[in-house]
Amino acid sequence: MSTLGRFLRNPAGLIGLLLLLLVVAAALSAPSLYPDDPLRLAGRPLQWPLTNPRFPLGTDNTGRDIAAEILHGARISLAIGLVATLLSVTIGIAVGALAGYYGGWVDDALMRIAEMFQILPNFLLLLVLVAVFGSEIGTVTLAIGLVSWPASARLTRAEFLTLRQREFIEACRTLGMRDAQIILREILPNALPPVIVYAGVVMATAILLESALAFLNLSDPNVPSWGNLIGAGRAVLRVQWYVSAIPGLAILVTVLAVSLVGQGLNDALNPRLRGRP
Amino acid sequence: MSTRRVVLASLPAFLAAMQTTREAAAQAVPRPGGILTAHMSGEQRILNPALRASTGVYAITSKMIEALVDLDATGKPVPVLATSWESTPDGRTVTFRLREGVTWHDGKPFSSADVQYNAMELWKKHLNYGTQLQQYLDAVGTPDPHTAVFRYARPMPLDLLLRALCDLGYVVPRHLFEGTNVLENPANTAPVGTGPFKFVQYERGQYVIAERNLSHWRGAPPLDRIVWRFITDRSAATAAIETGQVQVSTYNGIGLADLDRLGKDPRFTVTTHGSEANAFNNTLEFNHRRRELADVRVRRAIAHAIDVPFFIENFLYGQGKPAAGPIPSTSAAFFPADAKPPYAFDKRRAEALLDEAGFRRGAGGVRFALRLVPIPNGEDVPLLATFVQQSLQAVGIRVEIVNYDAAGALTAVYRDWNFDLATGWHQYRGDPAVSTTVWYRSGSPKGAPWTNQWGWQSDKVDALTDQAASETDPAKRKALYAEWLHAVNEELPIWMAIEREFQTIISKRVGNALNTPRWGSADWHDTTLAPG
Amino acid sequence: MRLLALASRRLLASLPTLLLVLVGLFLLLQLAPGDTVDALTAQIGGGDPAMMEQLRQFYGLDVSVPIQLGRYLWRLVQLDLGFSSIYGKPVASVILERLPVTLLLMLSSLLLAIAAGTALGILAARRVHRWPDTLISTLGLVFYATPSFWFGLMSIVLFSIYLGWLPPGGFEEIGGGLTGLARAMDIATHMLLPTVTLALIFLAIYLRIMRASMLEVMTLDYVRTARAKGLGEAGVLLRHALRNALLPMVTLIGLQAGTLLGGAVVVESVFALPGLGRLAYDAVTQRDLNTLLGIVFVSALLVIAVNLVVDLLYARLDPRIGGRA
Repeated sequence: MSTLGRFLRNPAGLIGLLLLLLVVAAALSAPSLYPDDPLRLAGRPLQWPLTNPRFPLGTDNTGRDIAAEILHGARISLAIGLVATLLSVTIGIAVGALAGYYGGWVDDALMRIAEMFQILPNFLLLLVLVAVFGSEIGTVTLAIGLVSWPASARLTRAEFLTLRQREFIEACRTLGMRDAQIILREILPNALPPVIVYAGVVMATAILLESALAFLNLSDPNVPSWGNLIGAGRAVLRVQWYVSAIPGLAILVTVLAVSLVGQGLNDALNPRLRGRP
Repeated sequence: MSTRRVVLASLPAFLAAMQTTREAAAQAVPRPGGILTAHMSGEQRILNPALRASTGVYAITSKMIEALVDLDATGKPVPVLATSWESTPDGRTVTFRLREGVTWHDGKPFSSADVQYNAMELWKKHLNYGTQLQQYLDAVGTPDPHTAVFRYARPMPLDLLLRALCDLGYVVPRHLFEGTNVLENPANTAPVGTGPFKFVQYERGQYVIAERNLSHWRGAPPLDRIVWRFITDRSAATAAIETGQVQVSTYNGIGLADLDRLGKDPRFTVTTHGSEANAFNNTLEFNHRRRELADVRVRRAIAHAIDVPFFIENFLYGQGKPAAGPIPSTSAAFFPADAKPPYAFDKRRAEALLDEAGFRRGAGGVRFALRLVPIPNGEDVPLLATFVQQSLQAVGIRVEIVNYDAAGALTAVYRDWNFDLATGWHQYRGDPAVSTTVWYRSGSPKGAPWTNQWGWQSDKVDALTDQAASETDPAKRKALYAEWLHAVNEELPIWMAIEREFQTIISKRVGNALNTPRWGSADWHDTTLAPG
Repeated sequence: MRLLALASRRLLASLPTLLLVLVGLFLLLQLAPGDTVDALTAQIGGGDPAMMEQLRQFYGLDVSVPIQLGRYLWRLVQLDLGFSSIYGKPVASVILERLPVTLLLMLSSLLLAIAAGTALGILAARRVHRWPDTLISTLGLVFYATPSFWFGLMSIVLFSIYLGWLPPGGFEEIGGGLTGLARAMDIATHMLLPTVTLALIFLAIYLRIMRASMLEVMTLDYVRTARAKGLGEAGVLLRHALRNALLPMVTLIGLQAGTLLGGAVVVESVFALPGLGRLAYDAVTQRDLNTLLGIVFVSALLVIAVNLVVDLLYARLDPRIGGRA
C-alpha cells in the first residue's frame, strides 16, 4: 500500500487534513469575503457575536470586525508557520546533513553551534531577537525559524550517521559520485521522512510562539495575526471573553490540524508500525 | 425658668454634644490594626524619592519619608516637615520654618541641616525635574536647627516652589548619605525617614513591607502594616484584587475594562478622586523634520481627523475628555477659563486642509505614509496608536505602527529622532513649569526624553516660557500661561489630545482613603482597614 | 567519584560553547535600541539629561563596548556575575532568590507531565484504536494546541475567582508568617495552577511517546513470550515494556530542559510568580545585561546538569550502553 493510501486510511491524519484544508480555505477566501483592510475601524467596539448581522463574530476592543481578522489572520498564521518551518527545517537539514555525512571536525563544529542554540532557552533568544531587531512580522518569522532549527539538525544528522554506513552509499563512492550528489540524491531522500514528520511540530510551535510573543505585546501590530487579537482580548477577558476565545480556538484548530497531519504522516511512514491493527 | 424648660432647651445641644463625642470617639480611636496590601504595577529599582521623582517611588516611600509640604483636600499646600514659609518681595529668598521634635526612624533628630543637604546635594544634583527646578538655587542657609533659608539667583515663584515640593521636596537623612556615593547608598533600598511607617523588608520583584512608627510626631497611625505587592501582569493584579489578596491599586494599576467592571461591584470603589493632582494627557507627537508634518495645516488636519470623543467613549470606557491643550482643566491655578479643545473632529475639514497643503490623494487613495512609534505606558497607548492608524487611514494617510519596548521607543523618538508620529503620556505636575513647558521650550539636549525633540522652535513660546518661570505674581503668571497655551494650541507642535485622570480601585474596607488630591502618594497616616 | 569526574568533564567540554553564547548575546544586545538607563527613565516617566548621564556612568555604560565586554569577562573569570541594574545588587544573589521558584515549577511540571503522560499513554495503548485511545490522544493534542497563557488565564478565572479554591497568583502568602508544613502547603496551593498549566504543554508529547513505545514493545518477541508463559499482563508491562519505553522519554527530558524555561516566562507572567523566566523577560526589556547573561549562564548550567542526569539514567535503563558512561 502506498504512503498516501496508508495516510488516508488513518482517521487522525484524515481529520487533520480536513481541518487544515478548512484553515487554508479560510485564508484563501479572506480577500474576496472581506476585501477591506481588516485592521480598519469597522464599527462600535465590543459588539457581541450574533448581535449585529454585519459582524457575525462581533467586534474587538478596537472596533475591528473579528470575522475579517480571523480570516485574514489565517493567512498570517499559515505564513508564519510555513516560512518559519521552511527556514528552520532547511537550516536543520543542511547542518545535520553536513555534520552527519562528513563527521570529524565539521561535525564537531556544527554540533557546537547547535549546542549553543540548545543551551539557550529558545523563547528567551526569541525575546532578545525581537528586542534587538524589532517586531516587524518578517523579523518575527525569521527569528522563530532561527531559534528552532537545532532539533531537526540532530534528527537529520542521526539519519545520515546510520545511512552513510550502508552498502549502497559505499557503492556510490566507488562509482566516483561526488559528495554533493551522494548527499542530495542518495541519502537525503531516505533521511527526510522523520524530518518531515518533525516539521509538523515545528510549524505548530511556530504558531504558538508568535501568539506567546503577541501575549507579551511584542508582535507586529500592523498585521491581523491571531496572536495579536488574543493579546488585545486579554484586556477585556473577563466580560468580553469571546475576543480572545475566538482566535484562541482558531489557533487550537490550526495547531491541532498540523499536529494530526504530522501524526498521520508518522504512522504512514513509520515502517515498524506497518501492518499493525 | 423651670428645670424642665432648661432640660428641653438644652436637649438639642446635649444631643449635638453626644453626637460630637461619638464622632470624636470614632475618629480618635479608629479601629487600630490591620495589614493593608497595595498593588504596585512596576518596580522602580530604588526607594528614594529625593533621588528619583516618580509616582512609582512616591507610592511606596511617601509612607516612610516625608516631604516639606503636601496638598490638602482642596489642593492647597499644607505643612508637613515645614510648618510655615515666606518669600521676600524680590522672590529670591524663601524661608521655611521646620517642625520641631521630629526624629528619624533611627532615632537621630531631624533638623535644617538635613533640608540643606537634600536641597543642595540631592534635589539640585540628582533628582529628575529637581535639577531643573532648583537650577538657580545658590545656597540653603541654616540660621538655626529649625529654619532653612533657600537663596535663589533668580526670582522663584513661591506658589511654583510649594506645589513642586510636594513631589520634589522629600527629605532623607543627611547622616546616612553625606560622604557616601549617593547612588550606591544602601538606604536607597532600605529607606529611613520620618514618616508614620517604618521600613521593614524589600523582597525584589515581590513585595515591600512597612510597619507603624509608634513615635511619629502625629502619633502612631492606625494601620499595623502596609504591604506593597509587585504584580506586573494586569490580569493577575485584577485577580488579586477580586480575591481580596490586595485591597488597593492606584494610578490605573489594573486594566480599563476591569476598572469599569469592578466599579459596579459593591465591594469596591473605583474613582478618580484622590488623584486630582496627577492629571495626564494622551499625546500625539509630530516629527517636524518630515516635510508634510512641518506644515501646520497637516498637523491641524490630523487633529481634525481623529474623533476623540468616540475614542474616549468606546476605547477608554468614558475615562477622560478632549483636552484644551497641555494645561488640564483640573488645574484651577492655571487653566484659562476660556480654553476649549482647539480642533474638533471634522473629517471634511481634515481632508480640505490636506488638499490645501498640496497632499492630494494618490494611488489607492493614499496621500502619504507615516511611521507611528507608541511609547509604551499603560494600555491606552497602543489603543490610541491603533485608533490614530484607523482614523488617518480614513483621510488618506497610511500609518505603520512601529512597536518597540519602552527603552527602544524612547531611544527611537528622543535620541534617534527616528519617527514621524509618536504617542505617549504627558504628566502634568501641578504647575506648567515643572514638566510641561519642557515639551515646547527649545534648547534641550538631544536624547532628553519628554522634551522638545520635534525639530520645532518658536521664539514667542520660548520667551513666554522663561518669563512665566520667574514671575512671582500669581495672577501675572496665570495670564502668561494663558497666552502661552494659546500660542502652542495655535501652532500645534505636538497635540495633547485627551485629558485624563488616574483611577484608583479600593476595597470599601479601607477608611479615610482618597481624602487628598494625591492620595496614592500621601502618607496614609489616618488610613484604616475594617476587618474583612 | 566517577560521577564527579564525569560531571566536571562535561562542564569543561561545554565551557567554550557557554562562553561563546555569553559573548554572542552581549554583542547582540549592544545592537538593541536603548540601554538600561532609557528603560529606567521610561519606567520613572520623567527624564532629566543630567540624571541620565550620572546613571550611565554609574552603570558603567560610558565606556566603549570592547572595554565593557572585557570588564564583564574579567569578572566572569573570577566567578562574579556582576551587578544587576534592575535590583541594584549582585546578579548571583538575585538569581539565587528566583531560582527555587523556577526549579520547583519546572520539576513539578515535568513530573506531572511524565506521570500523567505515562498513565494516559499506557491506557491508550491498551485500548489502541478504540474510543478511550481516540479520546485520550485527542485530548492530549488539544492541550498541546492550546496557548498556555490562555489556559492559565481561564483557570484563574474558574478556580480562583468563581470557585475561590486556589490563590490567583504569587508564590506564597506574604507576611503570613507560616513555617514548616503549613508553609509547604501554602506554596503547594499557589503552585498547583501554574504547574498544571506548564505541564499540559508537554503532556501530549510524553503521552504520544509512551503510547508508541508501548505499542512497539508489545510486539517484541520476548514480551509475547512472557505473555505466553502466563505472566500477568501488569507484570509484563512493568517488567519489560515500561522500562524500554522510558528510554525515549528520558532523551526528551534532556532536549526539553531549555524549552521548559521558555514556557516558564509566560506562565510566571500569568501567575505573577517571582521566578527566573519572568526575571529574564524583565532583564531583556530593561536592558539589564548582567542579569540576562547571568540567567543564561545559570540556565545553561541547568541544561548541562539535566543532560548529565539523563545520560546517567540512560545508562541505568539501557544496560547495553552502560559501559560508555
